[in-house]
Amino acid sequence: MPKVTIDGTAVEVPAGTNLIEAARLAGVDIPYFCYHPHLSVVGQCRICMVEVEGAPRLAIACATPVTDGMVVRSETSPRVKEARDAVMEFLLANHPLDCPVCDQAGECLLQDHSFSEGRDTTHMVETRRTFPGFERRLIGPHIIQNQNRCIHCSRCIRFTQEISETAALTYKSRGNHAYIDTFDGQPLTDPFSACTADVCPVGALTVREFRFRKRAWKLRSTPSVCPGCSIGCNLWIDHHERTVFRFTPRENEAVNATWLCDYGRFLAESLNEAQHLHPLHRVEGQLRKVSWGEAIRALALDLGAARTLRVVAAGTLSNETLFLARELFVRHLKGELVVAVHDGAPRRMKNARGQWLRSRDAHPNSEGARRLGLELVDGERLARFLYGAADLTVILDPAAHPYLATTEALQLLRVSPTLALARTNHPIAEVASWLLPVASLAADEGTFTASGGKVQRFEPAVAPAGEAKPGWQIVHLLARGMGVTSLDLASPAAVFAAIAARDRAFAGLSWHDLGGKSRSSYREHQHVG
Amino acid sequence: MTTAAIHAVPAEQLATVTFDASTEERIAELLTHYPTRRAALLPVLWLCQQRYGWIAPGVIEAVAARLGESPAFVQGVVTFYTMFYTSPPARFVLQVCETLSCAVCGGAELVEHLKARLGIGFGERTPDGTFQLVGVQCLGACGSAPVVQINDDYFENLTIDTLDAILDELSKRKEA
Amino acid sequence: MEPILLRARGVPNSHSLDTYLAAGGYEGLKKALALEPDAVTKEVLDSELRGRGGAGFPTGRKWTFVPRDHPGPRYLICNADESEPGTFKDREIIEHDPHLLLEGIAVASYAIRANTAYIYIRGEFVRWAAILEQAIAEARARGILGSEVLGSGYGLDIWVHRGAGAYICGEETSLIESLEGKRGFPRLKPPFPAVVGVFGKPTVVNNVETLACLPSILTRGAAWFASIGRPRNTGPKLYCVSGHVRRPGVYELPMGVTFREIIEEHCGGVRDGHRLKAFFPGGSSAPVMTADQIDVKADFDACAEAGSMLGSGGVIVLDDSVDMVEAAANLAHFYAHESCGQCTPCREGSDWARDILDRIVAGHGRPEDPQTLLRICNYASQGMTICPLGDAFALPISSIVKKFPQEFERHIAAATPRPPKKLPVLPWAGPRPGFDGR
Repeated sequence: MPKVTIDGTAVEVPAGTNLIEAARLAGVDIPYFCYHPHLSVVGQCRICMVEVEGAPRLAIACATPVTDGMVVRSETSPRVKEARDAVMEFLLANHPLDCPVCDQAGECLLQDHSFSEGRDTTHMVETRRTFPGFERRLIGPHIIQNQNRCIHCSRCIRFTQEISETAALTYKSRGNHAYIDTFDGQPLTDPFSACTADVCPVGALTVREFRFRKRAWKLRSTPSVCPGCSIGCNLWIDHHERTVFRFTPRENEAVNATWLCDYGRFLAESLNEAQHLHPLHRVEGQLRKVSWGEAIRALALDLGAARTLRVVAAGTLSNETLFLARELFVRHLKGELVVAVHDGAPRRMKNARGQWLRSRDAHPNSEGARRLGLELVDGERLARFLYGAADLTVILDPAAHPYLATTEALQLLRVSPTLALARTNHPIAEVASWLLPVASLAADEGTFTASGGKVQRFEPAVAPAGEAKPGWQIVHLLARGMGVTSLDLASPAAVFAAIAARDRAFAGLSWHDLGGKSRSSYREHQHVG
Repeated sequence: MTTAAIHAVPAEQLATVTFDASTEERIAELLTHYPTRRAALLPVLWLCQQRYGWIAPGVIEAVAARLGESPAFVQGVVTFYTMFYTSPPARFVLQVCETLSCAVCGGAELVEHLKARLGIGFGERTPDGTFQLVGVQCLGACGSAPVVQINDDYFENLTIDTLDAILDELSKRKEA
Repeated sequence: MEPILLRARGVPNSHSLDTYLAAGGYEGLKKALALEPDAVTKEVLDSELRGRGGAGFPTGRKWTFVPRDHPGPRYLICNADESEPGTFKDREIIEHDPHLLLEGIAVASYAIRANTAYIYIRGEFVRWAAILEQAIAEARARGILGSEVLGSGYGLDIWVHRGAGAYICGEETSLIESLEGKRGFPRLKPPFPAVVGVFGKPTVVNNVETLACLPSILTRGAAWFASIGRPRNTGPKLYCVSGHVRRPGVYELPMGVTFREIIEEHCGGVRDGHRLKAFFPGGSSAPVMTADQIDVKADFDACAEAGSMLGSGGVIVLDDSVDMVEAAANLAHFYAHESCGQCTPCREGSDWARDILDRIVAGHGRPEDPQTLLRICNYASQGMTICPLGDAFALPISSIVKKFPQEFERHIAAATPRPPKKLPVLPWAGPRPGFDGR
């Protein structure tokens, strides 16, 4: 492997690595605006200039591959400093500098570089170029454009050309008056449209749903996995206090590179919904608030007394919840358990090798259920499963399958006692005898098995709403209430260790290794300039 | 003088465009010049501008569909080049060279005269739709400055008198 | 000197194939076809022919960069996107002697083993594109082009491809992008076109005048060609003279005549009652030269020694009636209009320089303006940009600032402060209809 010295630090990097990535390995941050590790290299912004020993002119780091013995100076070269100052002055000549009212502030590459390396003076005294009518323009269902802020890096255009393959964005006109637009001003209906705002280094493209809801520096990011389909895109839950504000892509070259589809991304909002905040028990036709202690004690007795027990699980549940449910309801109580699954709209995602991954599964963990040896059923078989009476029916996620909201299903469930775990309003509340509040994905912890077979861990970002508890914990409490000591596994990590020990499909996996490699978000990662 | 007038098809008629057989044939022939379909974009756009007088959004969509590109890509290309009309042009587009050699050899006076005579500025057209005035950059005929290109034809070594004579004749042709 | 590139000028019907054949046309191609391609390259190398498009790179050397063992197709592109202000020589060749160009293209294509050649001609040249189309049709009908060039077994197709109004497409990688049907954004180099060019294949881009030199190199020999001019600066050259001279036009002269000869002898000097003030030796992108540099030789090396460049050989002559600040502003408008907008220094710098110069011309100059202009020019050139358009606008403007400081001082001394811009206060018009963004 070639060895290269950058600002005095020698590193060995794989052949073909460009100087930006090599410098990152050497602990040197070379600033950039137009470069993106998953897009083609265009060398447009010119801020990544470095001095290569022996070369008469400065070179752009993004388009310079390392060669063995190369000696590179970035921050230590006065020539580089001067050139970058000049490029910044050019970039800021027409930039509105409206950071106080710009929603990108705090996660803006231009602002960051200006703050850390820039100068506070300019030679520019002319009237700034503006794009009247383009300051606050909705260019698609999710994207608002402010062309005045654009620094012409073309990342958004390259994203639509190279990644989402719609080529829906283009430059129009040329020179300093070029601007970003769709064909004839038609809406940007690209299914990955919000990624154009992700790749935008400045506030020229912002996401409408997130705009002005929270300053970027107030957010904390927690690694998680997209619940939208079975591809298993890695994401960050960006949250503040108890509220989830958005999903942003978490880098994973094998799955989603640094992208998210609009469908998955905008599920973020739904994690904040919570109508069921307390355990409820139906007494004389009325649902009454009870304490968790009362509920678990009473349900342990009901479960113990039930001769016929049937359980409906779902592909939305974590491996840990599914495992505990299987062990308690099937192995210990000899009940019947099915996993309700159904097809959603087709989803796709492109990984860092440019391959499309596809899914028709509406749930993130059907594959996990399959690998735990559970029976997967569609709507029709679910109906047959629920036909007739049982001493107790347990519905672990009523929202997971549309059949469970039908009048027919409710009629079937009305005839015998039903326990349902619920977070949001659902018709099952009309018939359930017990309703236990369950936490959202954002407050849960565990693993999903993506359709490719990869087990990925998600971490809890926020506290559950009200008295809600994560699904695995509810099953765990029931097991403990019934005195099943073998299931006294008090954390998802402990549950996963048990899965790895007992299920061949999970053998050899360790909780610790499932979190994914990237511990800093791509955004943070590119903010170091 | 043989300068042909531009007949711009009105926008309403170009909302959706289907190429006629002869256009199709010409496109098919152009495609044989290149190993990729995209490379035929400029020639096909020229062909369309010749047929329709300008490049309407509907034309862009038809060209994009024919060549397998996105309409946004094609529009990006159209707007990069200055010679594609993105709105219906007048019958005669007066493209006056403003660059150095023409400017110092009487081009500036020519521009003033044209603006006064036609009563319009750069980028505007006369109310009757006969003339449109455009300031252009170097036309590559500096030795015979000042130069005006009218539609496809060059008029060189112009003076205010010779240019007036040309405009008189073109205006007359409109009436005929 | 006997005309070589312009020998057909004034000959009746000179653009027709019969006229061309009668004058010994296509003999150079016949000679080339009898040689190995590498021998043709050798001949051109020996002639020391340098590219006439502006950079002056040795033509034979450029050809040798094409990988010899590349399996797939290769391409030759004739750059007829003549857009450099002050340059109008290619049009002269195409109008009077299209077959000379076609023969040159065929020779070059054969030397690099290309079976397809494109002539990228600027969009405004409608009439000249038609002349070329007609010449190609004639040549194809007579078996000079097509699957069997002159019965040799070597096949060549030439296609005319019209640009559509973009100066930047004269830059070879931008031309290639444009030919591929895209916006004319120059490419990053390396890779150079000779390795990865149009459609990803090895490509040589040569200027019209360069290619037109080839037939005579083949028929008369490299030594003859090299005997014109001086070593490294050989051959006949077309000088395009425009501006304030009595007889502007294209002159074919041996490389290395002085600018005094060109301007005073051939063009009859500047207008009566005026004196020469400055001239651009090679198109407007070359640093300006002053009247006292008139004895510099008009060849590549001499112009470089004098701190300028021969470029395309477009000599723009300015007499003492010209205000150099206005001339700089005029050129700044050109470059700001033609900057493709891809990379930062050129996109922002060209607009910024134009605004400053416009402000000075409008009578609102500031004392620091010349320094600011030099700073812009410095950081928009010297490899700060993807393509040479950065240098193209920086060099003439910075050279005018440096060589005519007194003119800037005069403007600035008489300047008044720019009146403050009055911002209108708009009445409240109610919520904006149709906008539902947050």
